[in-house]
Amino acid sequence: MDLAVYDLKLHKGRFIATIIGVGLLFTIVLAMNGLYRGNIYEGLAVIKAINPDLWVVERFRGGPFNEQSTMPEYYHYSVKAVPGVEQASPFIYYTVERQLGEESRHFSIVGYDVFGGLGGPQQIIEGRGIQRAHYEMVAHPKLGLRLGDKLPLGLHTYTVVGLTKEAVDSNGDPLVYLSLPDAQEVLYQKDNEEVRTQRQRLTLSLTRQSSLTPQNAEKLLPGLQPDTHFINAVLVRLKPGANRSEVARHIQDWLYFSVYTTPEETQMMLKGRLAGMTKQLLLFRILLMMVSVVIMALVIYTFTMEKIRSIAVMKLIGAPNTVIVRLVMEQSMLLTVSAFIFALIIINNTYHLFPKTILLVPMDETVTFIVVFFGGILASILGLIQALKTQPALALGGQ
Amino acid sequence: MEILKVEGLSKIFGSGRLEVRALEDINLSVSAGDLVALLGPSGSGKTTMLLCASLILDPTAGKIVFVGQTIFQKNGWSGGVDIRRIRREKMGFIFQAHNLIPFLTARQNVLFPLSLVGAKGEPADSRVMELLEYMEIADRADYPPALLSGGEQQRVAIARALANNPRLILADEPTASLDTVRGKKVMEMLKKIAKENQSAVIVVTHDVRMIEGFDYVYHLKDGHLNHQIS
Repeated sequence: MDLAVYDLKLHKGRFIATIIGVGLLFTIVLAMNGLYRGNIYEGLAVIKAINPDLWVVERFRGGPFNEQSTMPEYYHYSVKAVPGVEQASPFIYYTVERQLGEESRHFSIVGYDVFGGLGGPQQIIEGRGIQRAHYEMVAHPKLGLRLGDKLPLGLHTYTVVGLTKEAVDSNGDPLVYLSLPDAQEVLYQKDNEEVRTQRQRLTLSLTRQSSLTPQNAEKLLPGLQPDTHFINAVLVRLKPGANRSEVARHIQDWLYFSVYTTPEETQMMLKGRLAGMTKQLLLFRILLMMVSVVIMALVIYTFTMEKIRSIAVMKLIGAPNTVIVRLVMEQSMLLTVSAFIFALIIINNTYHLFPKTILLVPMDETVTFIVVFFGGILASILGLIQALKTQPALALGGQ
Repeated sequence: MEILKVEGLSKIFGSGRLEVRALEDINLSVSAGDLVALLGPSGSGKTTMLLCASLILDPTAGKIVFVGQTIFQKNGWSGGVDIRRIRREKMGFIFQAHNLIPFLTARQNVLFPLSLVGAKGEPADSRVMELLEYMEIADRADYPPALLSGGEQQRVAIARALANNPRLILADEPTASLDTVRGKKVMEMLKKIAKENQSAVIVVTHDVRMIEGFDYVYHLKDGHLNHQIS
């Protein structure tokens, strides 16, 4: 005789309400799992999408993502000349905030050598890659742009020629790919007022030199303008059979750069920029799990305590403890499993509505299920102890 | 045949200054088909007597023999006695407050003790319906207790107590929550059961109007069984 099912049938409404309540709690746990995974996924997405053999950055810097790294653009020629290097491409990456229609949007710009260089989008889902040196862009659909849309950035307007979902930046914001000179221009281009002020300041400074006439100072001005040909990293592809560590050591020793492999870049991000948020989310996951188990314990305890007189009657009639244990445990299991299934349905149908990436991993779902399942068993022990302690005399109004 | 024999039964609650002697040196013998009433005012130890007789409460001293088997003696439990098994197979309980399991229908409440002894399927269902018909409540078989009147609930409770053909039925104030007419009807049923099933029935009550036709009437006062009418 399945007492647990009979009880739940009679209290259908309350059981369903409890499943929804506990299920929503589990949904938050699963969402937090997804957020944790999503945070790591987004943080590493660009690195994994580009995936060169080596990342060459400014010496003693953990760039280009975990820390700022700046180096002159022409250095990639030096890197290209290192034995074992097949290709060395300049790469620039930075985050901007620009007005996009009505709203201000955060996104990251990737500048790369569009004529066969590394670092560009590999999988275009719509349109094509950048084929011209200027004024073309490939964007992530998350930015809300469509093929043919025009986006003003700095002094120029760029046309969307392709869409790619390959990666987002470490904040989960969309990526925009530009040619390297365009990206440099967007990054370093000053507004006209600033250019004029700078020229005046420079002219004044030069004319203070007694040896220069104002005319000569004017002639020197173009040569003294700040250089904008800077990049953040050089991406390296090795020749087949080349020894990665030897090439890296050569670049470090002779060119005075820092060199990282993609796994090292990944580790730098995990231990650096992503570490704080990842730990925070992990802590939230653990706390939420604990809260879920405590709430489950309270719910099951309440369910059991409501039946305590009936349990006393059962004991008085002679029901063995197995009947009581089955009643409590079965309800606990039914509640846990139903609430978890409810949570799975909810999260799998809503994860795309979250502003940050919620990455649902079957492994996480399995582990969460195991935790809440055993948590449910643990939770029911509290009710079970009470049930087993109940004296049959309680049925007769005794002690 | 002697169903229950109680010798020198005592029950003391607490100790020292807080000691309460609920039962003292009780001797009682009940045979098959006997209908026994335990009368007494509130707090006289009637319910304690029932609880001790069925070993729901541990007596402090004395000896209890049930259907020829010693289930308790003053030095402690008799070895190997599974009292819950004895209760589910050979005892039936009727309570003042009916105490039906609220999430089971009338039919399921009667089926429950049968399921505890392994009865299932058609024979169990037939037995349930037979009992409900005997108690004239078959038409309410699929109602939960909340939808039954007090009298109907009590009849279901009696049907449940009879499910496993118990040798001993212990009823604690079975008519307390019923009006006089219904109360008398319940008592008539218990008499019928005692005679037809050859079960021993012990009824605890404080209402002398309800004990007409009982074989034995005991008076319990301050823990002493000091009066017997047969």
